Amino acid sequence: MIIGISIALILASMLMVLLVLLHKGKGGGLSDMFGGGFSTSFGGSSVVERNLDRLTVITGVVWFVCIIALGLLLKP
Amino acid sequence: MLTAITRAFRTPDLRNKLLFTLGIIALFRLGSVLPTPGVNAENVRRCLEQAQAGDAGNIYGMVQLFSGGALLKLSVFALGIMPYITASIILQLLVVVIPRLEALKKEGQAGTAKITQYTRYLTIGLSILQSTAFVALARTGQLFQQCQEDVLLNDDVFTVVTMVITMTAGTAVIMWLGELITDRGVGNGMSILIFTQVIAVFPAELVNIFRQNSFAFAAVMVVGVFMIAAVVFVEQAQRRLPVQYAKRMVGRRMYGGTSTYIPLKVNQAGIIPVIFASSLLYLPQLVTTLFAGQEQPNVVVQWISTNLATGDTPVYMATFFLLIVFFTYFYVSITFNPVEVADNMKKYGGFIPGIRPGRPTAEYLNYVLTRLTAPGALYLGLISMVPIVALAVAGASQNFPFGGTSILIMVGVGLDTVKQIESQLQQRNYEGFLK
Repeated sequence: MIIGISIALILASMLMVLLVLLHKGKGGGLSDMFGGGFSTSFGGSSVVERNLDRLTVITGVVWFVCIIALGLLLKP
Repeated sequence: MLTAITRAFRTPDLRNKLLFTLGIIALFRLGSVLPTPGVNAENVRRCLEQAQAGDAGNIYGMVQLFSGGALLKLSVFALGIMPYITASIILQLLVVVIPRLEALKKEGQAGTAKITQYTRYLTIGLSILQSTAFVALARTGQLFQQCQEDVLLNDDVFTVVTMVITMTAGTAVIMWLGELITDRGVGNGMSILIFTQVIAVFPAELVNIFRQNSFAFAAVMVVGVFMIAAVVFVEQAQRRLPVQYAKRMVGRRMYGGTSTYIPLKVNQAGIIPVIFASSLLYLPQLVTTLFAGQEQPNVVVQWISTNLATGDTPVYMATFFLLIVFFTYFYVSITFNPVEVADNMKKYGGFIPGIRPGRPTAEYLNYVLTRLTAPGALYLGLISMVPIVALAVAGASQNFPFGGTSILIMVGVGLDTVKQIESQLQQRNYEGFLK
């Protein structure tokens, strides 16, 4: 049981990293952090982005559930 | 002020954005207290209490500050935004060094997007390294040196690998949350997340001080309010260079003829120099923890651990101060290019009264900026010295809540976010927060 959920968690984590990296980075890193310049955000994202968002959210939920389940199972 | 807030919430567009931001922040905090599976939360709590009783728990000062106490709790979001910040710093420095990156930066929007993408890849790489390091430290029991309890539930390789991967994914999620705020919420996501973490440790610290000594509490409050006011004052300060635009005829229309100004902020660099300097000074501390187990440390390591590992030695203070001054100049020189500004002004027929357009203007801009940055750099240095000096003089607790860096972050991010909300409010209504 524990091993199964651990493997699920590992897979979900890897998928999560991959999906986040697939997103187009918003905001120009540190340069517009802490009040240097202003960032222009373009409204409206493409269908691809929206589906990616949906997928990321679903993976995120699975990831979260895995963490909680594993955390509860591993309790001493 | 209050009416502005109600008005912000009455605007449906802005209300959604604010609520979205708050929701993300709540998620973020939840992840910061949720322990990674495999961590013995009970023992960690006990160890943390021990570490706070002694003051050796503060070896990771800056990282701890940015992670809002999540790091030593070994939570899912233990690494916080630190990997992203480190990655950004590295790329900022590389842009100056590597010609290809510099070319990308000059390309404008598309190039910057590419650099951001590199930053994201580097963030994941760094977070793998850091999470491995921290889990390894926790496994060998070096994370809490005086604590005898086992921090991990069992230390077979499989559990450890799961933890490392979970923490890495946690960092990726944080990055995504930050980008979501930037994209659909208010303000810059990453800085708001840092802001949250800095604020999060505040109430507990204040209560701590209040319990120990209510007089000290009052003193801290007074000093804090005074310092916040001072920081706001300097952050808003700017020198306005007058610029006159010549009148131009385009077809039958008359353009220009207006006079405006170039605002040069006293603290043009923001708080980035402080973050750069602290991150760099964190390295020697890391080195000493790595060599902590050695019986006969070599001379260099010994020197580092006596002089650079703790914040209250003169060498540390001097290095910190000098690094901040250096990075202020460095960062201003990357972000503001006098030659470019002068060229743009010349192109649109603008000039500073009394100075010829072109090269003399660029030289003048450079001269003003260099002189203006001097007080800015000194101010940044002095403000960040406050906690260290307070520590040395008054023997206050290490986690002095009105630490210079936290105040700078709070005020900087706060002002910025309020300005953004205000600019959105102004689309409908003129009166905002800042008069």
